[in-house]
Amino acid sequence: MKMLKSVLAATVALAALAGAAHAQDKPRVAFVPQLIGIPYFNSMEEGGKKAAEAFGVDFIYTGPVDANPVDQLQIVQNLVNQGVEAISISIIDASAIAPVVADAKAKGLKLFTSDSDAPDSGRDVYVAQASDQGLGETLIDELVKRVGEDAKIGFVSGEATSSNLNAWIKIIQDRVKEKYPKVTLLEPQFAGGSSDRAAQLASDLMTANPDLKGLIAVASSTCPGVGQAIESAGKVGQVVGTGYCSPNTARSYIKSGAMGFTVLWDPAALGYLTVWAGKQLIDGKPFVASNEVPGMDHPIPYDEKTGILLLGDPTVFTAENVDSFNF
Amino acid sequence: MGARIAGSIGGRELTLLVAGLVAMAIFAVLSPVYLSAGNLYQVVRNSVELLVVGLGLTFVLAIGGIDVSVGMVLGIAAIAIGNLLLAGADPWVAALAGPLVGAALGAFTGAVIVFGRIPAIVATIGLLGVYRTAIFALLGGSWLSGLPSSLSDIFAARIGGFLPASYIVILAAYLAAFVVLRRTPFGLHLLAVGNAEERARLAGVAVRRVRLAAYVVSGTLCGLAATFYIANYRNVEMTVGSTVALDAIAAVVLGGTSILGGRASLLGTALGVLLIRVLQNGFTIVGLPSLWQPVVTGVLLLAALSLERLAASGGVRRLAFGAP
Repeated sequence: MKMLKSVLAATVALAALAGAAHAQDKPRVAFVPQLIGIPYFNSMEEGGKKAAEAFGVDFIYTGPVDANPVDQLQIVQNLVNQGVEAISISIIDASAIAPVVADAKAKGLKLFTSDSDAPDSGRDVYVAQASDQGLGETLIDELVKRVGEDAKIGFVSGEATSSNLNAWIKIIQDRVKEKYPKVTLLEPQFAGGSSDRAAQLASDLMTANPDLKGLIAVASSTCPGVGQAIESAGKVGQVVGTGYCSPNTARSYIKSGAMGFTVLWDPAALGYLTVWAGKQLIDGKPFVASNEVPGMDHPIPYDEKTGILLLGDPTVFTAENVDSFNF
Repeated sequence: MGARIAGSIGGRELTLLVAGLVAMAIFAVLSPVYLSAGNLYQVVRNSVELLVVGLGLTFVLAIGGIDVSVGMVLGIAAIAIGNLLLAGADPWVAALAGPLVGAALGAFTGAVIVFGRIPAIVATIGLLGVYRTAIFALLGGSWLSGLPSSLSDIFAARIGGFLPASYIVILAAYLAAFVVLRRTPFGLHLLAVGNAEERARLAGVAVRRVRLAAYVVSGTLCGLAATFYIANYRNVEMTVGSTVALDAIAAVVLGGTSILGGRASLLGTALGVLLIRVLQNGFTIVGLPSLWQPVVTGVLLLAALSLERLAASGGVRRLAFGAP
């Protein structure tokens, strides 16, 4: 089964290469997602295609069918063997990629990461979606704008062991301490992975705190539960729900008003920036502290020390713009 | 029948009832909002899926079986209902599809255990993996979200302007389970198989058919729970049902149904579910971090099981009845 899957994945990669081989005159930029066929990465592919047209490269999009690190590595190795000039990867297993990076360098190819990083692998650059700092601060700033500077706000998070969720909570807590001293933040509640438990916690928080003004769904898996709880408690308008939720997940709650807005990044823009970065690497143009990218409305910062190209501020999804996203 | 129900209230049910009321009294003292109608309604509302799954699991435990894959069956049934709603199907058709898909999966689970001659715990751990992957494959890596509210509208409708329709469905499911377990030969056979399988076989009970049927009943009720799940949350996430099995098994065992089979209490299951939800809700209301809640469920479960052991070893029966 494993074997069959690997062969299948390799075939897909080869087929993609065969298609690209017709236009060898243009340089090729590949993006290998963690898995194919999900809305998030489909969106990155769309953005990549747009950039490929804009910058005159051939765009190859190929990846494993089930987020398997071994399959992903094999696909990358295939791309390296084919001599694809620039290869970007949303890393599944950061510890396994270093030898492939060395191999690519020996062949004079550019290998870099996008969406998910492998910092110690020797990759050329990491195209990052948004900083944890940016995500946390944007969320609390937008929420305070809607509920006022003396509001009481609760958290419903996912697993208590998840480091990125805890980092977001910490950033929000720090921001409140420093910028909004009158805001009361409740202790975070952890729902694990289930949206029914999230709904339960959200409704209990609203009962225990009749003066609650905001509810933050920290994990994407808790978004529907928080939205649903606000709707069924009849508190739309009194309690503003928000969180790190994709537009598809939160759409109905944003439209009903249970969620005032949600915060994430735009994967299409990330895909666009990834292909631009690949083209820069192929052309041997160095990144500068602030990069003008044709087709993007703001300059893209680059951090020399960490080698990170940052997409920029997170995107805020509201009732006005939510329908123009599909992921 | 009222007298009969009252007569079946044993020590365990009474203990749970008292424990639940004591906990509620403590929460009410600690928080002024605890006893509000809105909060109590929420507790009942949040118990629904667990209660329905728990009723089915009571049948499975009664025959000395177990099923740790019930949450995944709920998940797959929920995906079927969600996809039907998205395709614009009539909400009644979608509501019926849940129990049907559940029954089919229950039959499959039962067949694997009965005809494959595999111990239930091993078989359902295996099936847990299979069903979980099926959920992943069916969802295609994304969630079903923003489902139309047509199903929710049915269950939220108030009969006679007061009683939510969902309560009637639960009451009907409970009464049906009660009648099957206490008023039919099948119910007797279930308990006989759970008590002593070989003796039941010698007495002419179609043991394999009875065991298979217990899993079909459980699957059907998981499917019904999925209908409630969709009506309430209108989305299916990748992690759907991940906590259901543990909570449901805990509630059933708390309720006095023996993990070894042969003894079942539907009322105990219902009280067990309510006790778990009352504690979870109360802890949040009085401001205890939610991290501690699984500990309490776990400790309750261990306490219930060791009481059962003590009672079974004889001599300390009074402890089983008197201890909290």
